[in-house]
Amino acid sequence: MGAVNTIQDRNSSSSFLKENRVTLLEVLDRALTKGIVISGDIVISVADVDLIYVGLKLLVSSVETMERLRGAPMSGNQEEPT
Amino acid sequence: MAIYVYGIIDSNDKIGASVTGLGGAGVYNIPYRDIGALASDLDTPVRDTDEKRVLEHETVLEKVMKSFTVLPMRFLTVFNKRDAVVSVLNEHYSDFREDLDRLHDKAEFGIKVIWPGAVIRERIVNAYSKAQASVPSPDDSPGKSFVKKKFETYKINKEFEEEADRRIAVIDNFFNRFVCEKKLERLKTENMLLSASYLVDNEKQDDFKKAFEGMRTSPDDLKYLFSGPWPPYNFVTKTKTEHKHE
Repeated sequence: MGAVNTIQDRNSSSSFLKENRVTLLEVLDRALTKGIVISGDIVISVADVDLIYVGLKLLVSSVETMERLRGAPMSGNQEEPT
Repeated sequence: MAIYVYGIIDSNDKIGASVTGLGGAGVYNIPYRDIGALASDLDTPVRDTDEKRVLEHETVLEKVMKSFTVLPMRFLTVFNKRDAVVSVLNEHYSDFREDLDRLHDKAEFGIKVIWPGAVIRERIVNAYSKAQASVPSPDDSPGKSFVKKKFETYKINKEFEEEADRRIAVIDNFFNRFVCEKKLERLKTENMLLSASYLVDNEKQDDFKKAFEGMRTSPDDLKYLFSGPWPPYNFVTKTKTEHKHE
């Protein structure tokens, strides 16, 4: 899977899980909303894109959570992102 | 039986048996002239967007991109028969060929930058309020107050966006020397300052990664997410969103 690099401690199992989650969200961000789209009756289905907005919020949240796990919180704002 | 298509490649050769697709299905190449479509036969219809299948789709593309140039299809692109796939290859051959040549030996990287948006907005609001407090103002009518408030909000938003643009310009200029093409999205959410996709030549990927490490460790209030190499999802040109149901 396309490697995801943030600033987390790789020895932490919690951070590892978060990294996997972020990787998944990065994949979803691309595979569900980007790539070649063929239109016309010969195509039976193309992925629905509704998930992306949920995914984007989770992604921001996951990255900030990794920062907190690492003990280097973002300066100032400690609330969950919108 | 339906045919699932993962992407288009710059080869009409057979694909190695080690590549497995959705639900463990075999992946094969449907050739047309000097290109081909990566495909699997589907015994049962796939209509749900589930995480496992999305990862299987991505895994096929990432395995194949080690040997070929790949144009990724959007997840869940399914055709009713092989002839339909060949028909698409025929109809869009020149577009696919052009993209395959342009994207040869290149990969996509993602950089997301998170900033403390709420803190920055609050700083702007405070500075604006302070400046306004020093200006004496007569009693306003409700209508005038409303307009004034709207104008204040507009100015604060504008300043917030200008601050975002300034920071994005610094980041983007830093990476520009390594990239062939780019797609930048500003403020997808209040805290996501930048979501960037960069197309990087294989020869420059190590330098690009080192540059990112340098940027990431610089002392500032930004947090970074780097990902890649990806198939060039953001750089294929045939991405019309309309389909038969619309």
